[in-house]
Amino acid sequence: MARFPVIRLGRLLIATVLEELRDSDAVDLREELSEALEKTGALGVLLDLSAVEMVDSFLGRLLGDVALCAQLLGAHTVVVGLRPAVAITLVELGLQLKGVHTALNPEKGSALLRSLIARDGHAKRPNGR
Amino acid sequence: MTESGSDGRTVNAERQSALIDEQRRTISELETPVIQVWDGILALPIIGSLDTMRTQQMNENLLQAIVDTGSEIVILDITGVPLVDTAVAKHLLETVSAARLLGAEVLIVGMTKHIALTLVHLGLDLSGVTTRTTMAKGLQLAFGRLGLEVVRTRERQQVVDSPLSLDD
Amino acid sequence: MVVEASVGIAGEDDIVAARQLARETAKGLGFGMVDQARIATAVSELTRNIVRYATEGRGNAVIRTLSGPDGRRGIEVVVTDDGPGIADVEQVMQEGFTSGNGLGMGLPGTRRLMDEMDIQTALGSGTTITIRRWRR
Repeated sequence: MARFPVIRLGRLLIATVLEELRDSDAVDLREELSEALEKTGALGVLLDLSAVEMVDSFLGRLLGDVALCAQLLGAHTVVVGLRPAVAITLVELGLQLKGVHTALNPEKGSALLRSLIARDGHAKRPNGR
Repeated sequence: MTESGSDGRTVNAERQSALIDEQRRTISELETPVIQVWDGILALPIIGSLDTMRTQQMNENLLQAIVDTGSEIVILDITGVPLVDTAVAKHLLETVSAARLLGAEVLIVGMTKHIALTLVHLGLDLSGVTTRTTMAKGLQLAFGRLGLEVVRTRERQQVVDSPLSLDD
Repeated sequence: MVVEASVGIAGEDDIVAARQLARETAKGLGFGMVDQARIATAVSELTRNIVRYATEGRGNAVIRTLSGPDGRRGIEVVVTDDGPGIADVEQVMQEGFTSGNGLGMGLPGTRRLMDEMDIQTALGSGTTITIRRWRR
């Protein structure tokens, strides 16, 4: 859990990657996020990658998996904090982060998630949530 | 200062190489300056041809500027780019993708009929790329995206200067 | 002075070790952050190919500093494995190529990240991939 703490903030899940991810860590991330989405019914995932120094094809594909899982479970995914070096390398590698929205930082990322969720037009639940 | 022996030659070559590196960096920074034209809007006027190394340097400068300013809109002006072929188009698309990963939208301005036909002919995937013909139109779009509006509040003033009126 | 280090590749921890070592070496050579990321990513791609797709998933990564004839510094990584070899290198280097077992994936991307890439391979006798990047 220390690798990528996941916290719930209202309708959002916020996951922060704290260390370099081995392949199996990345797979665990996907598993844990999917489980958390199913359990909580969260409408958005904010994935903070500001501590990540490298995204290769494995992690890139995995992020696409996370976004697709989230979508199937009814949630949007926003990745924030990609470092310039990581972004440039991703593009040169030719990786497409499919289904993943991106924003500069957690603040802009949660604003983006809120607007994506609002666009879906969720009716208010009886208890106002 | 002179140094003898093979080590000396290596050291001088290294110094030269370092100097050339530094000069190259200065030139590339001057070639593609990143200008903040408004809060949240960056502009990159590109003058001259766009090769791989120049694109790489441009992308680095641009992304750092996005991080430093938190800008969400980048206007890439290709008016000064003499030739847009497959290679140049791919470089531009790289810049668009990289900026997007940092949450910024890239608008390409300086589009001409000639370039448009070339790009269509090349069959590249240009979905998600927004373009305009002029910087003015690009700015207008950028303001719109940010929810800003330019409003005239008074008549335009004519300023008449007497050449000798430096101090009264 | 040439610095050389070798990392045995047998499992996913070795992928991380190899790419971190490559990054450190690149940093020591004065490569900037973006180049460090390019080099670490390239090494990650190549070593992962061994772990996932070589016969018994065993191989080796040798990371070396280079001194070019014009005095430029550079980094070289030689990744070898005893896997099945690549049947058709040209095919594998084509964009968008996906083989059934994933062998050779990530190679076109790696090529784009580096200045030089050389592939020596033969069916049944493994693969040696050499990549280099030079300080600008």
